[in-house]
Amino acid sequence: MKTMPPPCSEPETGPKYWRSLEHLADTPEFRRWAEREFPSGASEWSDPVSRRHFVKIMSASFLLAGLGATGCRRPVERIYPFARMPENYVHGVPQYFATAMRTRRKALPLVVKSSEGRPIKIEGNPDPPGGNGGTDPLAQASLLSLYDPDRAMRCTRNGAGEDKKAALDFLSGLGKTPGDGGGLAFLLEQNDSPSRARLQQAVAAKYPVARWHVYEPVDLDLGRAAASLAYGAPVEPHYKLDQARVIVSLDCDFIGSEENACANIRDFAKGRALNGKDDSMNRLYAVESLFTLTGLNADHRLRVAPGMVMAVLARLALHILSPSEMDSKLEELAAPAQAHDGWIAACARDLQGSGGKSVVLGGYRLPLAGHLLVVAINEALGAVGHTVEFHPTAAAREGTLAELAAALHAGQVRTLVILGGNPAYNAPADLNWAQAQARAGTVIRLGYYQDETSWNPSAHPGAQWDLPMAHYLESWGDARMADGTLAPVQPLIEPLFGGMTELEVLALIGGLTPSSPYEIVRETFRSIGGEGEDDWRKFLHDGFLAGSAAGAASVRHDPATWKRAIGGLKAAPAPTKESLDVVFYRDSKMDDGRHNNNGWLQELPDPITKLTWDNAVLISPATAKELGVFTERSRQNQKFFNSRVEVTLNGRKISGPVWVQPGMADHTIGLALGYGREKTGRVGAGAGFNAYKLRAADNMHYASGASVKNTGDKSYELATTQSHWSMEGRPVVREANLEQYRKDPKFARRMKPEDPPAVSPLYPNPLDTTKARGLHQWGMSIDLNRCVGCSACMIACQSENNIPIVGKEMVGKSREMHWIRLDRYYAGPVEDPQAVAQPMLCQHCEAAPCESVCPVNATSHDDEGLNVMTYNRCVGTRYCSNNCPYKVRRFNFFDYNRRPLDHQHLYRSPLVAQTDGEWELMRWLKNPDKGNLPEDQWQLARLVKNPDVSVRMRGVMEKCSLCLQRIEQAKIAARVKARDSDHIRLSEKEGTVPKTACQQACPAEAIIFGDISDPESGVSRARERERSYQVLEFLLTKPRVTYLARVRNPNPEMPDSKEHPLPRTTDEFNKGAFFPGEGAEEPAGKGAP
Amino acid sequence: MDGRAAIKVEGPPAELERVPLVGNQRGPGWLSDHIAGVVEGKAPGWWKISFAISVAMMTVCFAMILYLMSTGVGVWGLEHPVMWGWAIVNFVWWIGIGHAGTLISAILFLLRQKWRTSINRAAEAMTIFAVMCAGIFPLIHVGRIWYGWWLFPIPNSNGVWPQFRSPLMWDVFAVSTYFTVSVLFWYMGLIPDLAVMRDRAKTKIRKIGYGLFALGWTGSNRHWSHYEKAYLILAGLSTPLVLSVHSIVSLDFAVSQLPGWHTTIFPPYFVAGAVYSGFGMVLTLLVPLRRALKLEDIITVRHVELMCKVTLATGSIVGYSYAMEFFIAWYSGNPNEQFLFLRNRAADPFIIGPLFHVPPAPYWWAFWTMVTCNVVVPQFFWFKKIRTFMPAVFALSILVNVGMWFERFVIVVTSLHRDFLPSNWGYYGPTWVDVLQYMGTFGLFFTFFLLFIRYIPLIAIAEVKGVTPQADPHHPLGGAKVGGGH
Repeated sequence: MKTMPPPCSEPETGPKYWRSLEHLADTPEFRRWAEREFPSGASEWSDPVSRRHFVKIMSASFLLAGLGATGCRRPVERIYPFARMPENYVHGVPQYFATAMRTRRKALPLVVKSSEGRPIKIEGNPDPPGGNGGTDPLAQASLLSLYDPDRAMRCTRNGAGEDKKAALDFLSGLGKTPGDGGGLAFLLEQNDSPSRARLQQAVAAKYPVARWHVYEPVDLDLGRAAASLAYGAPVEPHYKLDQARVIVSLDCDFIGSEENACANIRDFAKGRALNGKDDSMNRLYAVESLFTLTGLNADHRLRVAPGMVMAVLARLALHILSPSEMDSKLEELAAPAQAHDGWIAACARDLQGSGGKSVVLGGYRLPLAGHLLVVAINEALGAVGHTVEFHPTAAAREGTLAELAAALHAGQVRTLVILGGNPAYNAPADLNWAQAQARAGTVIRLGYYQDETSWNPSAHPGAQWDLPMAHYLESWGDARMADGTLAPVQPLIEPLFGGMTELEVLALIGGLTPSSPYEIVRETFRSIGGEGEDDWRKFLHDGFLAGSAAGAASVRHDPATWKRAIGGLKAAPAPTKESLDVVFYRDSKMDDGRHNNNGWLQELPDPITKLTWDNAVLISPATAKELGVFTERSRQNQKFFNSRVEVTLNGRKISGPVWVQPGMADHTIGLALGYGREKTGRVGAGAGFNAYKLRAADNMHYASGASVKNTGDKSYELATTQSHWSMEGRPVVREANLEQYRKDPKFARRMKPEDPPAVSPLYPNPLDTTKARGLHQWGMSIDLNRCVGCSACMIACQSENNIPIVGKEMVGKSREMHWIRLDRYYAGPVEDPQAVAQPMLCQHCEAAPCESVCPVNATSHDDEGLNVMTYNRCVGTRYCSNNCPYKVRRFNFFDYNRRPLDHQHLYRSPLVAQTDGEWELMRWLKNPDKGNLPEDQWQLARLVKNPDVSVRMRGVMEKCSLCLQRIEQAKIAARVKARDSDHIRLSEKEGTVPKTACQQACPAEAIIFGDISDPESGVSRARERERSYQVLEFLLTKPRVTYLARVRNPNPEMPDSKEHPLPRTTDEFNKGAFFPGEGAEEPAGKGAP
Repeated sequence: MDGRAAIKVEGPPAELERVPLVGNQRGPGWLSDHIAGVVEGKAPGWWKISFAISVAMMTVCFAMILYLMSTGVGVWGLEHPVMWGWAIVNFVWWIGIGHAGTLISAILFLLRQKWRTSINRAAEAMTIFAVMCAGIFPLIHVGRIWYGWWLFPIPNSNGVWPQFRSPLMWDVFAVSTYFTVSVLFWYMGLIPDLAVMRDRAKTKIRKIGYGLFALGWTGSNRHWSHYEKAYLILAGLSTPLVLSVHSIVSLDFAVSQLPGWHTTIFPPYFVAGAVYSGFGMVLTLLVPLRRALKLEDIITVRHVELMCKVTLATGSIVGYSYAMEFFIAWYSGNPNEQFLFLRNRAADPFIIGPLFHVPPAPYWWAFWTMVTCNVVVPQFFWFKKIRTFMPAVFALSILVNVGMWFERFVIVVTSLHRDFLPSNWGYYGPTWVDVLQYMGTFGLFFTFFLLFIRYIPLIAIAEVKGVTPQADPHHPLGGAKVGGGH
């Protein structure tokens, strides 16, 4: 799959053949080009770095033609075809390279598909131990950021553009400054990169008194600090959730917002696999204040205020730790959770009864003492060694942001180097970072965007250099995966805008040689992976260093640590209407704000709230009622018009729209971080409000004492992709408890609402006859028991199939284009509901209702059972969508691919408008493909497109094709391989059946695609499982996509254990008993969803 | 025997005397003068004002089409899952209106309903213009209007051939056939009158213009004999079309699998509704016109009454159909259909909703507007006082049209907005472009209709004369005894 770049021989120099018309004409330009470019290129072909240049030329061929002329500060260059084609390279055949994307400290191993030099699709690397090729939405979407037209594109000094050379000179000038580094301070992000650690050491050796600080606005690394303290050695916890039978999450959204979520999902889903009724599955208890994905997947969920989580933990400890370890402080802390004692005691018994195959997880909002207690409980459970290991790690030596701010205010920092991050936006409000930064004489800032931390004329720092940061797909680097395995970060493309990497800047400032990131990484690798060139090449090829995973450290737990730590804790007061608790949480899409300008992520619905393009003040229905701040829904269209409230915390205020969220703890408000950016790109501008403005250094993750005031403004529009929240008692997602499933394995098939009518259809189904011709019969099975609702499939599909984003206004009109969506339904009481997620995509019905109503044959069946769309044929009557019972077809109401997405541009007729100073009609006449995007957006927007999938124009219906392009490529490959034989059938056994994009991205392996005519295939076996069912089977559409019913595993001893999962009793929703005012019919109406 | 006096045959008693179809014993001469006078006289002030307004609105219609075509269907309020909105509602509504004309001219002709002669010309013109307005919507509602011709079976190098299983294809044929035959039928009937206009013309242009279209009509026996045969044949041809066109339009819905659409009752129910709305529109047009153009002797109160009765009859059929839909939804036991009828349509916040313990349907107001206008309103026509009181008839006829518009809205939108999977549910509303587009088609309609009034005799002169008592040579006033002149 992954191919090493071919070594290129010396290019041909003899003028036997002319290489271009210019060559033939022998123009001066050509001669200059030949003299300058070619020899320098030639000298580097034999260089080990040759790949970069190979890639550079290929990528440039796409970029430069357009970019050069448009004032994007790139010189015009002419690009010529290969004089001699590199070996193994075939035009149009994509290549795959292994790399890795940093998450926080850890990294996700990836394989990136590159077409003609452009990275166009990100996949997980399945090869590292335990890997399954899954990714998360952030990794999938990071591709779009590479081609972001708003990213930082040039070096600037005090806001004025500078040559990159000048910047490099300045940096190396710094590196030559003699001295001990007094007044020099570095502010870094968390990163386990061995190369960075090495450079840090080298720089620190040169400048021993330089300050080093690390800041992450959402620090997910508390577990490491706690473990290091508890074991007296630098270690970090590594969870093996696949081993765990009982998992208790204490405000730890390990499926969603914690570090290594992708690996966690993979391992968690392994424990949920049910192949038959005798299989056992893990059990998840979640204690949380917000409704998170972990809560959605939990078998038991305890909804408590954020401050109460510590009390629950303490009470859990009371039940689990041996009496000898008890202390009165613990009892004092546990007192507020008295009311939940039945729940906690049963949970504790379950934990203890699983013989070490259990684990307790603490989330990043817990105090350090809480994490210490979690370590102690895991020790007491005997989990250490089974479900949790402690891996040796580097000791954290860097200072905090608060210390750095203090030093800045004290005038102790002359030169401040900020590598990544955006402290001016996300530093705690009480640090006054913008002022602090201005106190530094010189600021050197490496950033991906021109953002809040960039040169700010009103702040007047002495001098500030802003350097554009390279995307990880443009960078050399190294990283550690969740289990400590070393992974390379290697570029697939020359930095588009001359971006630099952290390593490069560190090396330059430290005056180290070599300063080329490649050399740095290569050098680091020598000490870890061996000297040999072959080792290095294998490392790059495989994308990981086999055997470099960290092993369990042999350390001894010191129980005294947690006792000391809890000494200083006070039991949190229960929040009230006047004094609310505020939870600041890491957004599942924006992270801490770093992905703010990524359109795919902005438009990805939040897995729980289904909100796009915004954050909101999340509030429980009861509290919303108490405070009188219901969500009010306008009857005019699909929009939600919401009350805007003002949240006051310690004198700081923000205002934002209210979102009533079932399942939230009462008297608690949730604020997603990462929105409300003041300086961001065209995509992120105007999205949401900035919750950082409320956050102080002493309460980074939750705070109490907030008050909410209704501003009376009810005009704020929130765009959501799902406005109805209940299943209305319809068996769309079928669910049973494990016990019921064992008694009645075929429960899902029995849950169909009515028997299909015994009528023969009006027309003979064409597929019945053409099926015989098909070599394969494609189908898909989705295991709802494994699916956790992470949404990676949605972005993977968007990336693979060139699905446009449509903007907030269009989402508000339900015009989003996602081919696969995640339906989320609630059931049960609105205050404390259960939730389920269901991926919904074209069901590829054998008797497809869409097909018979299309007047132009634009949608039809192929003989392999795929319902295919012929875009060129579609005139856009939209009848197919009306007749689709699953409503999975998506219509291009506007030319989303070729127009700016705001109201002004989408709704503006090109007959009366101008773009770039030219009448749009004229532009269209000159080049109909170009659309009305400004030139810079247009040039970059097309680079991200998958060349194998046509880009749809307006007026055309589109929908999931089950990645037809992948199937066809696989078939072509099989035919090429088969040569004269007739062995052209794809077979799963031989590994020739392709994976769909959603399947490949799914870390939970919930999606299985394959050939249902092959009885051995995974999908055939899945369809035969007892849990297999079709959605809306009574319509006789015979979907090729089937679902495996969900099974919950409640503990019968628990006080909240229910005989049935709640979706079966949704009558309660229907009767409207749970929604104040309006009733459940429009749960999003007044009051609640 | 001889002495026996001749038995005096008494005429029927006065209350059984047929009311003459033309009032005030108006003779043929008066009829010709009066009807042609509308065309020949000076344009009245109200005509000029209405025409100016109509042309302005028609311009809006074309401007909206241009905007839509250049920008995208997104300028309308359509959304997932309601992919058909006002455009299809308007299409079906206009097509329905286009029903009365051909029904009056063809079916009533075959049934020897002589009263049709006073209204058939205007009703047929209305049909043609209504079908034109209707035809605009399916054409422009497609996403790629410039490929709309792919719906026609035109051999082309793209190899794109229509898919005849789709009801939209049937629509194309049904509507275009209906339009063609209606135009032919209308034009056929016009020929003798055009000849009248030609003969009366005083200017050269009128002579040539009317002469050209009169096709050399001289009124000879031979002409009349051919004419009447042809008229009968066309009437025979049109009759099934009256039934087929709206049946087929209804199949657009009935063939789908969507609850609320997938119903076998649709074809007859749609035809009844169409006739109902068609007569409503004829009343809306003719009640003010007969007054403005002083045609009360030709379009008499009796005509209006008769039309009211047809409206009452068809309105009651429509009401019955509504009831049947509910019955079938309940009787079939199909939960999706029951959900739709109760919770997407009928459940209002005051009576039905609380009665069934369900929250109000999002579009309950549309449903109840429809029921009020289509079931309750026609019941007023049981009363002769109302049938003969023109302002009331006019007002009720407008409500009939409002009701029928809402019927289509209820069918199209309420069925789509909440179907099988609750995650899809949405709420549809129009944009200003939808509204102006609809208003614009009124401009188109009235522009043509006003031109028709001014340039073509709006009442079939020859046919009306044929049903006057004077047309009977044995009638005391018959032949050329009084008045005379032709």
